Amino acid sequence: MVRTILYNLVQLLFVLGFAPLYSGVLSRFKEIVQSKRGPSILQPYRDLWKLFHKDEVVSSETTWIFRFTPFLVFIVPLFVASLIPVLTDYPLAFAFMGDMLAGGFFLGLGGFFAALAAVDTGNPYGPMGASRTRMVGFLAEPVFMIVFFTVSFVAQSTIPYIVQQKWVASPAAFFSPAHILLLIAFLMLILAEGGRIPVDNPTGHFELAMIDESKGLEFSGRGAALMKWGGQMKFLVLTCIFLNVLLAPWGLATDVQPGHVLLAIPLILLKILLFTIVLVIIESSLAKLRLFRISEFLGAAFIISVAAMIASIFSASAA
Amino acid sequence: MASAQTQLIEGLNALDAGLILLTAFGMVATRQVQGVMRFFIVQSIFLAISAFLIGFNRGSIHLIALGVITIGAKAIAIPLVLKRTLPNDLYERREINQVINIPSSLLLALLLAIAAEFLVGPLVSVSTDPVVHVNLPIGLAGILIGAYSLVARREAIPQLVGILAMENGAFFAGVAIASDLPLIAEFAIAIDVILIAVVIGVLTRDITRTVGTTEAATMSELKEEPYEWR
Amino acid sequence: MALMVTVSLPLLAALLCWIKPFRAFAWVLTVVCLTLSFALAIFTASRVLADGIVIGIARWFEADGLSVLVILLVSFVCGLAAIFAGGYMHHGSQQTTRLWWFYCNYNLLAFALIIVPAFASPNLVWVGVELITLFAILLVGFENTPTALEAAWKYAILTLMGAPISLLGFFVLYWAYHISGGGTVETWRGLYAAASTMPPNLLKFSFLLVFVGFGAKVGLAPMHTWLPDAHSQAPTPICAVLSGIKTSVPLYAILRLLSVILASPEARIGNWMVVIGLFSVGIAAFLLFQVRDYKRMFAYSTVEHMGIILTAAGFATRGGESGAVAQLMNHSITKSLCFYTAGAVLVVLGTRQIREVRGLFRLSPFAGGALLLCSLAIAGAPPFPIFLSEFSILSAGLRSGHNAAVIVLAILIVLAFIAIFLQINRMLFGNPEPASTRVPLPASVKTAILIAAAPVVVLGVYIPGPVHSLMTLAAQQLGGH
Repeated sequence: MVRTILYNLVQLLFVLGFAPLYSGVLSRFKEIVQSKRGPSILQPYRDLWKLFHKDEVVSSETTWIFRFTPFLVFIVPLFVASLIPVLTDYPLAFAFMGDMLAGGFFLGLGGFFAALAAVDTGNPYGPMGASRTRMVGFLAEPVFMIVFFTVSFVAQSTIPYIVQQKWVASPAAFFSPAHILLLIAFLMLILAEGGRIPVDNPTGHFELAMIDESKGLEFSGRGAALMKWGGQMKFLVLTCIFLNVLLAPWGLATDVQPGHVLLAIPLILLKILLFTIVLVIIESSLAKLRLFRISEFLGAAFIISVAAMIASIFSASAA
Repeated sequence: MASAQTQLIEGLNALDAGLILLTAFGMVATRQVQGVMRFFIVQSIFLAISAFLIGFNRGSIHLIALGVITIGAKAIAIPLVLKRTLPNDLYERREINQVINIPSSLLLALLLAIAAEFLVGPLVSVSTDPVVHVNLPIGLAGILIGAYSLVARREAIPQLVGILAMENGAFFAGVAIASDLPLIAEFAIAIDVILIAVVIGVLTRDITRTVGTTEAATMSELKEEPYEWR
Repeated sequence: MALMVTVSLPLLAALLCWIKPFRAFAWVLTVVCLTLSFALAIFTASRVLADGIVIGIARWFEADGLSVLVILLVSFVCGLAAIFAGGYMHHGSQQTTRLWWFYCNYNLLAFALIIVPAFASPNLVWVGVELITLFAILLVGFENTPTALEAAWKYAILTLMGAPISLLGFFVLYWAYHISGGGTVETWRGLYAAASTMPPNLLKFSFLLVFVGFGAKVGLAPMHTWLPDAHSQAPTPICAVLSGIKTSVPLYAILRLLSVILASPEARIGNWMVVIGLFSVGIAAFLLFQVRDYKRMFAYSTVEHMGIILTAAGFATRGGESGAVAQLMNHSITKSLCFYTAGAVLVVLGTRQIREVRGLFRLSPFAGGALLLCSLAIAGAPPFPIFLSEFSILSAGLRSGHNAAVIVLAILIVLAFIAIFLQINRMLFGNPEPASTRVPLPASVKTAILIAAAPVVVLGVYIPGPVHSLMTLAAQQLGGH
């Protein structure tokens, strides 16, 4: 019991510690592909360090929401990280605290407060970004739901750990038309939720074109650091769900030996590295979509996820 | 219980089936002529992979030959022939004119896929082969989605690709249910498919030369009009 | 052997037309080869009458009564249309330098048409039917005018769309055959034998797919929209082939498959065929009142006749089957005559519009007389053969208890009759426009019309013994006996 609590903490530390690295590697790869000379992969750490040492400026027009939001945005991904299999193959202490829906709602809560805070400042770009994020968000939510329900329908459970074990235990369920459709739908979701190309450009500096970034324009100092870190962790958590639960449920620690749990860290990092390459290929080969084409992008994700659901229901009834 | 290798191959075939369905959706979703063509080429390659997998599993030379023919004809020959016979501006058209917008089209395509599952649901029960359970519904879905894009699209090449995608769907079901069809029949069918592409290509070229466009919407000379009785 | 030669003669003709030194004689070559083919088809038919079946290559090319009847009709119509094409194409086509190409393609079409009934394997039948469509597409667009190309395009899209659907249908059929323990090479005969052990659901599904796919090629409503366009825009000899026999050949495949399905005790779909057939007849009967173009009028009449044949087959009794076979035959010979006549009118007056044709009797007594004869025959007036076959279909329906269907069918046939005669009446009588120029008819056109008219007139009053026994044999095979 103590051990599982400990491992859960290790898991949180993993997410906390490697989230900036992940985003650093991602942008570095992208710069390599684009033949640019970018900053080192440790730059996100330096940014966070710098921001934490700066004074925070808060507009006198804002309310408590604006001050509270960075903490919430920072905490929520950690919360979700304790629910999902990051390093271990078996459920840890907090695994049954909530299922995938709960995780989705927590992430949604963070997004909701981020949007409120953006409106709170009175900055004209904030509400614009907030409303766009909401548009992406409410188009993405049904897809999330259907992906989760399809997964849980196959695994007969909504707890991520159990889903992951189901895939490992039965290759027949893993290899099905439904599975590949789910993977694609979820990948499209990650792109939308993480604010990546083709939905949003995370490195853009033009406020009118921003979706995700413009919400954070008013934050400074510690608040900005927490928002940034929280966003990076959210992306890492989504990636972990995608990799460990859906795409490649192998390579995790299968027993309680501390050595094996530590060994899982480089393995998952390797998986993430490979995924980063795929992501960079996607981002470099696509152009950002026009705002009103985003609904088509997510509509396609929705269609694919529903097709996955149908396929899984029929293959289940046939089997 | 089937051997582990057999199961693995069946699993890979199932993944392949998912990708085929995905490419069918892709063909409905894309707006560019070249995009449609690329999705079609990828789909044909997936079809060939399925033929290889099932052929390997059942030890059928026919299916492997069919896979080779499919790659040769659909992934290489047909795109080349079309590129040769048709003027370039047909290919580079970006926004394809279509009757129903893309999100609704995707929804309809989804409905068609569901309908396909329901239609063949009672039929596949006669077989215990998992490959049939996977390939027949998705093959039929491929046919229906191809037919839909044929109806919705208003331009020559996307319409032709729609027909060929329907053919892919039929073959995808066919490799599972009729795997030991006599080779000559399969061969004849493959030749026929190439001929379809050539004939439509020639026809399209003639139309662009004479009429100047291949937007089917502009071709509405021929219809029945009410007769005035004098 | 005779069967193989019959089948391959058109292919030989196509090859010869393609070789450069022979291009100038393309027409002569075509006529000679197709006439020979017809003669050999008669010989094959006599062998079938003697032995019941003729085998070209076992399990690949076989001809029973039904097949050989269709082969006879194909070679008759194609040969006559080739004769007709001689004068017509040299006179009326804008593409005189490409005529060799026309004949080459025409022979390929004839080859594809004649090979379908000779195939013993349903999968090859699919290939044949698709080949027919492809060659026909090129011929429909032969004139290269915008309207001809539009017609060819509509025709291509609508009918080729059916190709993959029917392909899946044949795959499912093969699967069902395989499940029931059949061998690897399926033949029509093998299918009849295995029909009762095949899973009925699969049979029905396969028939549905083939029916949708081939139904579009037959021109059954609501998939008929390409038919009047293609049949009005194609060169007239092609129209005669398309309307007279090209629609019948896919219908032959459907009927073959239908008889397999009906042999399965659990798959009752005869009544559906009656309904779908009646729908086609109805659509055609009402559209016949609306046409402005006499070639389109005859095209709609084809839709009507296809519907009647399907209805008769749907009765699923011996009377219905023999009625369907008779109607199939009578339609082919009469409808091709109609198009030769329409072509003659087109040569004389140079217009396809009904309203621009006045007093045809005075302008050209030959064309007018032929038009009167053929429209009486096609509308089903006694004593022409179509009257006989329609009458026998109606009485077969009454005997098998399809009373409502028979009443509807009778009303629709009468409506179609009235519609055709309202239109024809306006063309034949009255005073010709003074300015109209008349062009003398080429000899080959007259010859073709005279030859084509002979069986239409004769078969109405006297059916020769061999023809009668061939029809009986074909009807038996349609019933799967």
